[in-house]
Amino acid sequence: MKIRFWGVRGSFAMSGREFLRYGGNTTSVELLTDAKQRLLIDLGTGATELAKQLMGSEFGKGKGTLPILLSHTHLDHIQGLPFFAPFFIKGNEIRILGAAPLSGISLEATLQNQLAPHYSPLSGLENLAAGVTIETITPGEAITLPGFEVVTAAVPHGSMWTTAYRITADGKTVTFLSDVEYPSIDDPLPEALALAHEADLLIHDAMHADHDYDMRKGWGHSPARAGVVVAERAGVKKLALFHHSPDATDDMIDEVVERTAARTTVPVIAAAEGNYLDV
Amino acid sequence: MQITFWGVRGSYPVPGAATVRYGGQTSCVETRTASGDTLIVDAGTGMRALGNKLFREAPEPQHYHVLLSHVHWDHIQGLPFFSPAYVPGTKISVYALLTAADELHQVIGGITRHEFFPMPLEAIPAVFEFHQVEPGVELDINGFHITPIALNHPFGSVGYRIDGDGSSWAYVADTAPFTEVLHKQHFLPGPEPLSDDDKLALAAMREALVRRLTGVDTVIYDTHFLPDEYAKFPHYGHSTPDQAIEICVESGVRRLVLYHHAPSHGDDQMDRIAAEYLSQGAKKNIEVLTSFEGMTLPIGPEGT
Repeated sequence: MKIRFWGVRGSFAMSGREFLRYGGNTTSVELLTDAKQRLLIDLGTGATELAKQLMGSEFGKGKGTLPILLSHTHLDHIQGLPFFAPFFIKGNEIRILGAAPLSGISLEATLQNQLAPHYSPLSGLENLAAGVTIETITPGEAITLPGFEVVTAAVPHGSMWTTAYRITADGKTVTFLSDVEYPSIDDPLPEALALAHEADLLIHDAMHADHDYDMRKGWGHSPARAGVVVAERAGVKKLALFHHSPDATDDMIDEVVERTAARTTVPVIAAAEGNYLDV
Repeated sequence: MQITFWGVRGSYPVPGAATVRYGGQTSCVETRTASGDTLIVDAGTGMRALGNKLFREAPEPQHYHVLLSHVHWDHIQGLPFFSPAYVPGTKISVYALLTAADELHQVIGGITRHEFFPMPLEAIPAVFEFHQVEPGVELDINGFHITPIALNHPFGSVGYRIDGDGSSWAYVADTAPFTEVLHKQHFLPGPEPLSDDDKLALAAMREALVRRLTGVDTVIYDTHFLPDEYAKFPHYGHSTPDQAIEICVESGVRRLVLYHHAPSHGDDQMDRIAAEYLSQGAKKNIEVLTSFEGMTLPIGPEGT
């Protein structure tokens, strides 16, 4: 299995020279099996870059199929949806899977709201030319997608919940735990540890540098150290710090990686936009 | 009076190596009189950096005024990230065209629904106040005289003529030209045939725009498309530099600023567009500038 980060930034897309090495696009991660089956996590602005590449393949001819897992529906995770070009080609079959954002508000109603006529000229999901299905996940359930086995769990994210994913393909496992804040950093939730158990790669929310965290407790995001605790307890093989703060320049992220790596034997990287990496 | 561009991109923010010079953030312009009165036009993603600057300049609570052309995401997404909004005592007056059945506070408050953003507008410390604008109904805001102008964009949009310090500039975005397509309140999968009434409506809209722009020092115009791109997507609601030059010629406007750049137009292409239209404009005696993030322009004969 290969992975490519198309968007690693949290909250807000950042353009400019200070954000070029790690990238300024908001959340979007592609997984690709050896047999070239594809899975996308989240539709932040990074997805618009992947879209350009996909349009050169079967998606440009209306013959593409793609499942997309949404962690949640905060804007930085869905703002690329109206600009994801494969949606505009008739014949493509795209599944969007995610949990209902809140009790009483469905995933479909939420995405319809995003595309409401006053907010978007698309004026609703029904105007997307591709075949689009919205499938509601009940966190905790396991899902089988072509080429991928997926285990899901709800984790706390400030005043809402996000869905975390454990994805296995080609005998390798990637765990996606973004937009999460545990009640105690030193005592991560058992659901998170179970999802990360002996994963080959753990992608973890690291919005805050450790020294900034005290001021930002309760905002729904983790300091870099939280991912280390999960990785060590769960026996993870590699940790990718993810969902970088919009205020974190490349040099600041370098520093976070250096400090984080110094405190653990788990190999640590900061997720960066770029090429396909072997899991 | 002067104007500063904080976001010049259309549709969605575009980070990356290809946008470092012109900028990747979406629509947001700040204008300021010689005496320091300010006005913000559009609340796209450029508004985040503007907010940080305004907060550094004056950390104590202020009263900000924000004119919106319309409420498509690329023109409102920055509002919840405007840092002065988190200073208790801040007041933010928002002026916008009502294009939905809901009230303005519901439409604009809807961008911070719990599903989309961690904090609802009502919980943000600043007090928000909403004012509906109507094309042709002039208003005075914070030392500026404002004239909203109807534009041709899906579900409606307004431009603004802004007079202050004895000079004026105009914000003409987002708009399609006034020829092939009349945008109404329904989804357009492609161009629709125009009825006679539609043609009259387009002509009236164009005439009013030309009239309002007459005598304006500088016009900022939605020039999202190049002509070949426009030919493919005439129903998307955006114009080309050629169409902007045509309107400026008729209005006698001498300075045009290209704005709302397509996300796909990287810096090198923007350089070519800037050079091409600088020379096209010169033939018509119009100075054509291409906006970039951080660009500040003095407005008026003395350029305050």
